[in-house]
Amino acid sequence: MKALYKKEIQFYFNNPIGYIVIVLFAATINFLYIKDIFIMGIASMKQFFSFIPWILLFFIPALSMRIFSEEKRTNTMEVLLTLPITETQIVVSKFLALLSLIVIGLSLTIALPFHLSTSTKIYIPEILVGYFGIILFSSFFLAISLFYSLKTKNQIVSFLLSLITLFMLLGISSDLFSGTIPKFMQDILIFFSPLFHLQNFIKGILDLRSILFFLSGTILFIVLTVFDLEKRD
Amino acid sequence: MISFSHVFKSYGTKTALSDLTFTAKQGEIIGLLGPNGAGKTTTMRLLVGYLAPTSGTITVNNLSPSKQRFELSNKIGYLPENNPLYSEMKVVEYLSFVSSLKKEGDISVIVDSVGLTDVLNKKIEELSRGYKQRVGLAVALMGNPEILVLDEPTSGLDPIEQEKIRELIQKFGKRKTIIFSTHILSEIEAIADKIIIINEGKLVYQGAKPKGKGAVEKLFKKVVK
Repeated sequence: MKALYKKEIQFYFNNPIGYIVIVLFAATINFLYIKDIFIMGIASMKQFFSFIPWILLFFIPALSMRIFSEEKRTNTMEVLLTLPITETQIVVSKFLALLSLIVIGLSLTIALPFHLSTSTKIYIPEILVGYFGIILFSSFFLAISLFYSLKTKNQIVSFLLSLITLFMLLGISSDLFSGTIPKFMQDILIFFSPLFHLQNFIKGILDLRSILFFLSGTILFIVLTVFDLEKRD
Repeated sequence: MISFSHVFKSYGTKTALSDLTFTAKQGEIIGLLGPNGAGKTTTMRLLVGYLAPTSGTITVNNLSPSKQRFELSNKIGYLPENNPLYSEMKVVEYLSFVSSLKKEGDISVIVDSVGLTDVLNKKIEELSRGYKQRVGLAVALMGNPEILVLDEPTSGLDPIEQEKIRELIQKFGKRKTIIFSTHILSEIEAIADKIIIINEGKLVYQGAKPKGKGAVEKLFKKVVK
């Protein structure tokens, strides 16, 4: 498993794609932070954390679209699936490699809370909980994108399928969507909204229900991807 | 020991293999022959566990390839059709990756024996077809598998490279069971002990290689109309 994880990480760092994606990701986040602080005058990390899901909406499908699609297109999947590695190990290795890239991207924003602390009093555990929530949120979105990457040989189709699904998940809790459905359904749908669960982390609250929501969603899509990979049609 | 017993394989409504039954004993070199679309690649994919049969039984050393792929993966070395490789990787990176999965400590022996020493630090995409084929062969040989499954190992190579790959197959074939497919009938004459001919998904010949120059071609033309 370590060998495949290393190979996947190496792919992103041995060619410009990885650097471009990570730098673009970090630059966009840093820009949004700077905009909040200097233009809008908001000295808080809450706005910053609230914006990240919308950036991840594009970055995660872009990062993961090739992970299985390319293996299927070039037929290297046939080689991989005849080597001594289980389907679960393949999926988990690829998932962890992509999650590591996101964590690296997020780590490039770590200077922001330190900068904020020079102008206002900040509560470090609250910010750490925010980052933890973003990582859990990313894991969930990543597992969904990984699932779609295995569905097709075409990277663009994989990107669009996961973008649409993730957009719908983000839209569940929006006023625009919830205004069109009955109240009792709103409550059910909101429970399935990743943004609703992320709000707790952004506020600095470690809510077990939200942790379980993200973990179970991640595991569900990883298991579905493993099942799909195990098919021998 | 490899055994196919009444194996059927369908892709949707299309039948790729129909009632295929054959056996291969340890140490045999078997040439799998057939026209394009006959079912050779499907047979090989079933043998390595990449595909599962629609019905019938396949066993390789008493293991089911589709159900026990992981257990079998250390016993079978596979060179797929068109030799798919991670072209963005360097040869050394790719071989090290496979060797760590196959728990092969030292890749230098295989690198030497297939003649890859000079290109170890080159990217796979920069290699000639002949060298790419050697990389594929090195991957198949890694971990010292008991069985080698080679799907058209000399396809697309010039005659000199074909000869070199053939020599490598013969060199390693002395100690292993080898099943290889090819369109080149002279290759079968040079390497194989036994022949299996498939046509339109059905077995049309299974037996010893006929002796004499041109005998394989005559047999092929006779059974594949």
